[in-house]
Amino acid sequence: MADDPFFVGWQDNVPKLSRRKVLLAGAGLALGAGALGLGLGNQAPAPGPGVWDQGRKLAMTGTIYPEPYLHLLTEDLGGGPRPVFLVGQGKDRITVRPALTFTGAAVTGTMIERGEHAMMAVDDIYADPAPGRVMPGPETDLGEVVMTGEILDAKCWFGAMRPGHGKTHKACASLCARGGLPLAFCETGRCGEGKAALLFLDARGRAFGPEIIPLVADPVIIRGRIFEVAGLRQVRVALGDVVRL
Amino acid sequence: MAASFSLVGWNRFKRSYDFALILGVALFFAAHLAAGFLGAPAGQAPSELQVVIRASGAAAFSLLTFILCIGPMARLTPRALPLLYNRRHLGVTCFLIALVHAALVLLWYHGFSQVNAFISLLTSNPRYGSFGGFPFESLGLAALLILFVMAATSHDFWNAVLGPRLWKALHMGVYAAYGLLVAHVMLGAAQGETGLAQAALAGGSALLVAGLHIAAGRREAARDAAETEPADGWLNAGLAADIADGRAVIVVPPEGERIAVFRDGAKVYAVANACRHQGGPLGEGRILDGCIVCPWHGFQYRPEDGCSPPPFTEKIQTYRTRITGGRVFVEAAPQPPGTAIAPSLIEEAG
Ligand code: HEM
Ligand code: FES
Repeated sequence: MADDPFFVGWQDNVPKLSRRKVLLAGAGLALGAGALGLGLGNQAPAPGPGVWDQGRKLAMTGTIYPEPYLHLLTEDLGGGPRPVFLVGQGKDRITVRPALTFTGAAVTGTMIERGEHAMMAVDDIYADPAPGRVMPGPETDLGEVVMTGEILDAKCWFGAMRPGHGKTHKACASLCARGGLPLAFCETGRCGEGKAALLFLDARGRAFGPEIIPLVADPVIIRGRIFEVAGLRQVRVALGDVVRL
Repeated sequence: MAASFSLVGWNRFKRSYDFALILGVALFFAAHLAAGFLGAPAGQAPSELQVVIRASGAAAFSLLTFILCIGPMARLTPRALPLLYNRRHLGVTCFLIALVHAALVLLWYHGFSQVNAFISLLTSNPRYGSFGGFPFESLGLAALLILFVMAATSHDFWNAVLGPRLWKALHMGVYAAYGLLVAHVMLGAAQGETGLAQAALAGGSALLVAGLHIAAGRREAARDAAETEPADGWLNAGLAADIADGRAVIVVPPEGERIAVFRDGAKVYAVANACRHQGGPLGEGRILDGCIVCPWHGFQYRPEDGCSPPPFTEKIQTYRTRITGGRVFVEAAPQPPGTAIAPSLIEEAG
């Protein structure tokens, strides 16, 4: 101990032995930092199979319905009429001139997709008589359910943000909900890698108002009825039947 | 030191230190990003920005944990002393990485909306009354503000302007920031479906920091208990021959500050143990070229009057000494900082 070199950091001539030690220690610490980064980076939450290819513009035709959330009912995806939700680039809803709704229309933009779910970030909408009026067909009542899970903002969960659920996403989901973007519901355990969610609507099948905002992204238990409309399942819930866990 | 704060001295050690720092940060990011992108299940690409947000949060938090471990490690083993030098480079780097983290969060999660991003940050999650649902972002924001104040006042210029006591008190805020950040991670990322790793990171780091501080504190307390010994205003510092040349023993008076009793050849001096810079333990330093050198950042003081050599202007308290029967005694009452006191002389035995 008596003859160990005393370290003075501002000296130019750091003793030889201690210089080698300092370099070794520095390299060791730097490598340790890398290993830690690797370990922590590996623990990422599942991003989910959503995609939003912003480089691939496409056009789709069908009929625009403003309710419950603005969507294009189209047969372009195959397998009968299917809804493609229409949103903008950000977290606020877009509006469409009434003249373009309930009649043939064409929409251009980029697709946000996850499993069967489809949404389009719209560039342009114009009248197009070709598809005529696409009708959703009858709705099927699939009965009552009780589920635990999370109210999602559909745009992020479909693929705008990966991952796009859970508490770290709550602030963003609140903005999307406030902006009037579609809400969906995923069951606990299926929010991460899952491909399916339910459109989330009030008991009468309409979009919720701002009263739902505080509940998004929180773990909740809901009691409601499941319906299927135009190939898409929705859950209809009264506000009082959404209970935070 | 006070006169040198305008000139930044770059020596080889400082360059190696910063090189290791940059290399460490770069390796951490590279590994974290690579694992984040390549480790994702097939067909599930994470959003690039979100991977960077997570990597930068983890990097800043880990760096802060490391910074907080250096202090107690240096108390436990002199081998860790080199890490103390330029520690502020680590602190400023930590703040800058955290700033990137926060800015990207603000842009990504709170941007792209009609609501102002800063307002969204504080109001999007209104559950301030809940524990599990608490808006963890606001905890991160509070911590970031503390880190900012500390990074901004980290330079020795501010230590000189504010005085070491106030400066030190201010920089104790780092512990508050750290507590906030542990909660930021525990109530944020750790709440997710796969939050176990983040909980382990935050919890394990907090335990490590607390454990090291407790260990260092206990060791210090044990040493202090062993040395207290009052006698009519003079304290027994032990046998003069037991003090190694160029080194000191530390004496703990019943009240007041610790005293460092140095031996330089046949001369014995006593000065305050706390360094004027950041309170480093001078008694664990050495006398080099006639000056006491602080083990923490190398501030120098002349043992005979407690003054830093010109052009520096720091002063510490000095103490009168006497040697009786080979034993060194130190007067418990200090002399004003910078008071010159003649050394006691060790008589050659025989
Ligand atoms: C205004 C200040 C801050 C805000 C708004 C903020 C926000 C966030 C958000 C939203 C997340 C979740 C990210 C995600 O999972 O996608 C997060 C995670 C995190 N933040 Fe912060 N943060 C702030 C400051 C800080 C600071 C100062 C530090 C550390 C020095 C920090 C360390 C972390 C860590 C370690 C994580 C977990 C990363 C992981 O998932 O592994 N944050 N923060
Ligand atoms: S505490 Fe910094 S040099 Fe003494």
